[in-house]
Amino acid sequence: MIDALQLNLSRLSKKYGRNVVLDNLKFDIASHECVLLTGENGAGKTTLLRIISGLEKPEHCEISFNAAPAGSWRKLRKRLLKSVMYLHQQPYMLSGSLRRNLEYAARLNAAIVDQESSVDRALEWAGLEALQFQSAASLSGGQKQRVALARARLRDPQILLLDEPTANLDSESRERTMQMLYEFRDTGTAIVIVSHDPEVFSDLTTRRIHLHDRQTSPADGPGSEVIDLDKVRQSQQQ
Amino acid sequence: MDVLVSSTIEAFHLLFSGDAEIWEIVGISFRVSTLAIMAAVPPALIIAFFLAYGNFFGRRFLISLFNTFLSVPAVVIGLTLFILLSRQGPMGDFKLLFTQTAMGIGQFLLCLPILVCMAHVSLQSADRAAWETARTLGAGPIRAFFTVLYEIRFGLMAALLAGYGRIISEVGASMMLGGNIAHYTRNIPTAIALETSKGAFAEGIALGLVLLFLAFLLNALLQYVQGRGSINP
Repeated sequence: MIDALQLNLSRLSKKYGRNVVLDNLKFDIASHECVLLTGENGAGKTTLLRIISGLEKPEHCEISFNAAPAGSWRKLRKRLLKSVMYLHQQPYMLSGSLRRNLEYAARLNAAIVDQESSVDRALEWAGLEALQFQSAASLSGGQKQRVALARARLRDPQILLLDEPTANLDSESRERTMQMLYEFRDTGTAIVIVSHDPEVFSDLTTRRIHLHDRQTSPADGPGSEVIDLDKVRQSQQQ
Repeated sequence: MDVLVSSTIEAFHLLFSGDAEIWEIVGISFRVSTLAIMAAVPPALIIAFFLAYGNFFGRRFLISLFNTFLSVPAVVIGLTLFILLSRQGPMGDFKLLFTQTAMGIGQFLLCLPILVCMAHVSLQSADRAAWETARTLGAGPIRAFFTVLYEIRFGLMAALLAGYGRIISEVGASMMLGGNIAHYTRNIPTAIALETSKGAFAEGIALGLVLLFLAFLLNALLQYVQGRGSINP
């Protein structure tokens, strides 16, 4: 079980050149939560995940960990990289064998004492024992996704961010990935999933947020609905 | 034609009879060039990394500048350093002119742009996700840097071999900065130039054969590592 964490982001803004991607956005996540992030292409979903993971610097953002302000971006980034893990839509496999990929992750986690047995357990958890000495680059998309999740298990983050984790996967790989995500959630890891396919994650997620017009709005749950800010503005003008 | 054949036979004889002077020249060449490339690799990798992944003002200008340096002739590097290191020059007090150090500095400057540009291309063609994956797995910036270098090791090896091939065979800068002093700064290319001017073709061909063998060895090594890279990425 991991340490409880409450991460709050507010007044988050990000732009690429003159293109404003996120504007004055608010986003919260806590341990044991699983948030599904939806939105149209270009809505800024991946950008939001990359900011939360510390890989992308926002123009402006106020972030607090467990209600304590995080300070400068430099300190914040360090904290985010330590607590949060981002899984790319197409996970990058380090060169060498599948096992080497897991060994790399195990070596970086100071809490792991016995690396060999931890890697063995992660392989067993992901159902990849038979492929452990195979070149990671030659694995299928579903297998790479499982390797990425096994690496995440060894990393043991407080928040796990996934970008379209089941895109282009067959039903069997999807099942397996879902099972692994359920197990992650049960350990208390906060999960944020970006997906265009909300039905797949309907049982897993505790909250759904729709990213629209560069801002978030609750997309389901008690008393909430998708807010189309464009329509609101149009009706105000009329 | 007879001169070429007889000189080549004599060259082989010189090489395999263990002619001390020939092998001393080979030794100086390898020592200076190896030290020069070893000194150039760390800054070149750091510069290439910042050019590939950095986001700072003047980045594109620097990339263009290093690409331009690729085509600067060795004699121009030699001339510039000669002016700087000569007694009247701003660095004259160091008394480096006509030393192996001066030759090494010249070769350092010659191979640096090759290493930077080729490493930069390798880094740019590499998936940026390699860096991000390492960072999100908990690697610090230095560890992630070495992880990325390992991921592009075949491209880096090609850069290293290309840089080494360039400096071990260059004559202009070594001649101007080393002065071709026997037993001290005479290396393979400057010795070939000297022996040819004296009409001692056998010595020139013997040293040329060493360079040719080295070029073959480097290319064979490059083919080997690139072959391994394509089979097992």
